[in-house]
Amino acid sequence: MTFKKGDYFSEQFIVSSEIHERFIDLFKDKNPLHTDESFAIANKFESRVMHGNILNGFISYFVGECLPSKNIIIHSQDIVYKKPVYLNDRLRLNVTVENIYESVHAVEFKFEFINTGLKLVAKGKFQIGLLV
Amino acid sequence: MDSDKILEEIQEIFRDILDQQNLVIHPETNADEVEDWDSLNHIQLVVAIEKHFKMRFTSKEIQSWKNVGEMIICIKEKMV
Repeated sequence: MTFKKGDYFSEQFIVSSEIHERFIDLFKDKNPLHTDESFAIANKFESRVMHGNILNGFISYFVGECLPSKNIIIHSQDIVYKKPVYLNDRLRLNVTVENIYESVHAVEFKFEFINTGLKLVAKGKFQIGLLV
Repeated sequence: MDSDKILEEIQEIFRDILDQQNLVIHPETNADEVEDWDSLNHIQLVVAIEKHFKMRFTSKEIQSWKNVGEMIICIKEKMV
């Protein structure tokens, strides 16, 4: 088994304008909360709120590119959003191995995204399978 | 916990994982008889059962199961 309970990983991401624009180009979610500054502010946010699913893209990158094995597949992924993420926010992704299911070669991770103000912006779990 | 109670509890897990709220399983039930009980769902079933009963199986144990009844026997043995 490549992983053991308690293994910890960390990665930093920036929600850049390129990511934001490409996300809109690809998925067509132009909801004004994400695209209209005045609408966002009128709804008591500091600025346009970035799409929560951009964070899921970061998880995808992390699983596919940053873990110590490439022989993996995502089984499931859950995320809870706690605070808004704004354009150019720097996010620290902290990931810990929470459970190992050796019988079926599966590993469950818990994760959190922390912004530069040390606020928890999202947390969740994902489960991967090891391709054997 | 007796076998009937284990069956009742894993039936709920099967219903949840396989999204079949009316699914009824028996000790003789096997993967060929249940729609969507494929290899990926089998992993989720095992993970959910391990979590629910707070136990761990080995690959060898899982590969030896021919039907739900053998799964129940294995769960029961680990409860002792």
